[in-house]
Amino acid sequence: MKAVGARLPRYDGIEHVTGRTTYVDDVRVPGMLWVKALRSPVHSAAMSGLDTTKAEAMPGVHAVVTHADVPLLEYGHLSALGIPADEPLLAKDEVRYKGQPIALVAAEDEETALAAVDAITVDFEERTPLLDVRRAFDDDAPTVHQWGNWYTHFEGEMDRRQIRKGSIDDAFEQADVIVQGVYRPAAIEHVPLETQVALVVPEANGRLTIYSCTQALYFSMGVVAAHLQVPLNKLKVVGGTVGGGFGGKVDTATETMCALLAQKSGRPVKWRWTREEEFLCSSTRAPWHMEIADAVTKDGWILGRKMLTLHDSGAYARFSPYGLTKHSFHHTGAYTIPNLSFDGFVVFTNRVPTTAMRGFGVTSVSFATETHMSRIADVLGLDPYEVRLKNANRVGDTSPNRIVYTDPSTVSVVKALAGGMDVELATEYAAMTRDPREGDLLPAHLVGQLGNPEDH
Amino acid sequence: MTQATEVLLPTSAAEAVALFGDGSGVTIVAGGTIVLPEITHGRIAPTRALMLSGAGLDTLDAEGSTVTIGAALPVARLAELAQDVEALAQCALGVADYEIRRQGTVGGNVCAGAGRDAPRGDLQGPLLALDASARSIGPDGETTEPVADFLGHRAGRLLLDLSFEKPAASAFAAIEYPHTHEYTVLAVTGVRTAGGEVRLAATSLADHGTRLPSAEAAAGDPDAAGAAAVADVKLGDDALASAWYRERTLPVLVRRVLSKLEEAR
Amino acid sequence: MKLTVNGTPREIEGAPLTTLLHVLREELGVTSPKAGCEQGGCGACTVLVDGEPQRACLTPVGAIDGSEVTTVEGLGAPESLSALQQAFTHHYAAQCGFCTSGMLMAAEAYIARGGTDDREAIQEALAGHVCRCTGYVKIIDAVAAAARGDAFDLTVTAAGTAMTNLGGVS
Repeated sequence: MKAVGARLPRYDGIEHVTGRTTYVDDVRVPGMLWVKALRSPVHSAAMSGLDTTKAEAMPGVHAVVTHADVPLLEYGHLSALGIPADEPLLAKDEVRYKGQPIALVAAEDEETALAAVDAITVDFEERTPLLDVRRAFDDDAPTVHQWGNWYTHFEGEMDRRQIRKGSIDDAFEQADVIVQGVYRPAAIEHVPLETQVALVVPEANGRLTIYSCTQALYFSMGVVAAHLQVPLNKLKVVGGTVGGGFGGKVDTATETMCALLAQKSGRPVKWRWTREEEFLCSSTRAPWHMEIADAVTKDGWILGRKMLTLHDSGAYARFSPYGLTKHSFHHTGAYTIPNLSFDGFVVFTNRVPTTAMRGFGVTSVSFATETHMSRIADVLGLDPYEVRLKNANRVGDTSPNRIVYTDPSTVSVVKALAGGMDVELATEYAAMTRDPREGDLLPAHLVGQLGNPEDH
Repeated sequence: MTQATEVLLPTSAAEAVALFGDGSGVTIVAGGTIVLPEITHGRIAPTRALMLSGAGLDTLDAEGSTVTIGAALPVARLAELAQDVEALAQCALGVADYEIRRQGTVGGNVCAGAGRDAPRGDLQGPLLALDASARSIGPDGETTEPVADFLGHRAGRLLLDLSFEKPAASAFAAIEYPHTHEYTVLAVTGVRTAGGEVRLAATSLADHGTRLPSAEAAAGDPDAAGAAAVADVKLGDDALASAWYRERTLPVLVRRVLSKLEEAR
Repeated sequence: MKLTVNGTPREIEGAPLTTLLHVLREELGVTSPKAGCEQGGCGACTVLVDGEPQRACLTPVGAIDGSEVTTVEGLGAPESLSALQQAFTHHYAAQCGFCTSGMLMAAEAYIARGGTDDREAIQEALAGHVCRCTGYVKIIDAVAAAARGDAFDLTVTAAGTAMTNLGGVS
């Protein structure tokens, strides 16, 4: 084993320090055209009268594409996971978020492309936008999406992710205190140093060569093939070094849009987003709204958790149902809570659709759970390390979706944290391990709630 | 985009003035740190661009009791005034980062219009507190006026230089937004002249920087001065902070500056 | 207009208000400086102009006619890496690499003007540069190492890079 523990060079290290790493924007192909997009200036509107004739006639403009040019306008990126298609590649009758792409221009240079975009005319009939997830359920809320204001296609056509475990009513009855909290982490931008970029080259043999910054090369290839309705062997996708992605370059659509322009113009086409576009129009980590009510005992046991999550998906579903699903499985965090009532909704708003970002779906609930554990300790006047160690996942404990833990690390991590903060734990807590619960660590409310790791 | 622009490259101050004319249709490019992004992103399309890089307006004269700063002096060079005007040097070294300070000019910083997302013009504060004179060219020809007046009609003028008397003491206090470079949320500069007069100015307000006359009138009592300062300014909400926050922190900065000036006696 | 780029005299066709970044990347094919934001906010486009670090995206070429421009390509090639380039490689100071060119040029200038391994001074010198991958610590480690004059055991051959310093991750 000569690699483990050894200092190995990065395979791309030398390229990076000599400026030789080739990112998509560094690729030079003769005859390249520049792309600019017409984007919705409003949050929500009916759209009509889209007219690109002036733009198409401008000298230096080689192609303009709108929804009419897309063979399959709506393609479900995760239809294989049961999430139906809901998002048009380019807006058709309406716009649902500020920045939504409506039309694209490929021209000789950036300046001409910008002028051509300005020459496209379209009419908007603005509608009241829905921007606050909490309002989505109001009777008088604006309707954002063809499915309503929240996703309704979980298995069994359920309109939420729902977890019920044990008896939350018993837990609330037996509790000494109910500790409540509302947690609302804001949207987070990935801010990769390299903005979204794609270069598509039409080849003489009818194939398209696609240079993309995607993090998910084969995934993106499938998306292009689906929208264009061409077989995969018509596409050659050249991936390469991604200038930072962090989850934000998985649901890219720039390749598809450039492919359409390349087909229509017969020229190589490159689209590099400006930093402003990256901030205003690219997908973000979702904002979340989480409400937690924990039934706790005076001595720090958490008997049950009642939780409501509203996940702000923005204007379209993209990967949000998947993110919420992961979130639901982890809604007790690193701790064991036997009685659960969880309801989570993927809510649609008139905001930029949200997407994956490191720890997709789970960072939100980790944040909420950890903050809530400290709140519990605070309310009960107990030590925050002790409350955590008591309720920590142990071998044989089960997750919200009944996975039996065989190797949980909560206890050792909390003890390491205490060590790192120079906090001396009381003897019985310092002696804790992840071993299966017994004695004081197996109170009445957990008896019969645990699983046998051997069975899995 | 830039092909259609007539670019003027004067090699002396006199030539710059002559080419500027009455300023109509002229876009000034000094360091370029503010103007170039506007051009790159298609927000302005200059027809006549006056590039000042070779016009010799980057002078700094601090020999005698009067300091004269050429408008095209890089912001970083104000560090050379650390002994004479500590507040101005300190303010300058808080602007952006090493590279931007060497490229951006004093004139660009002073003349900058309000930023779209965050305030600009940090240097306006110390120069106001110094009661600097601004010499500039405009439709009416050459004018020398207090910088406070210049700020009121700075758009469309070519700033040539700024002059002020070296103070007996100066002090600077700011709230910086922690970031890669620094953004100034709010700043106050105080100056005590050789004659004992105390002047105060603030920047990162809703509009350009201003003097704080009510605070100056109460300068002997820092608490009263801090409280009075709020009436002298118009505060705004922006990407860095809210007016609410600035209203509460302005008195603190005023008190800090006055107490530093006191220590410098 | 004329620029000397990494030691080679070049004729510039672009108009005087064209940014140095555009001229380097589009006209001269020097692609190491990156268009991270094109508004001076990220530092990915920093190059040396007459030895001083500045943002290429903010520099109109007309203002630097006749100057010497140095980019990462001019620091060293794979078979002849500069001490700074070796330090970055050894200390894993690059992940995606997009910020690396700008960081290297800023660090090069910092060391050239006598910068030491003082971490605060290094941070101050690199304050205009954003990195979203590394968390900056390894970049500062690398610059400090180069400023100190640390030696590295890097061998770059056609077969790849060998770091002979095996024996424990540090």
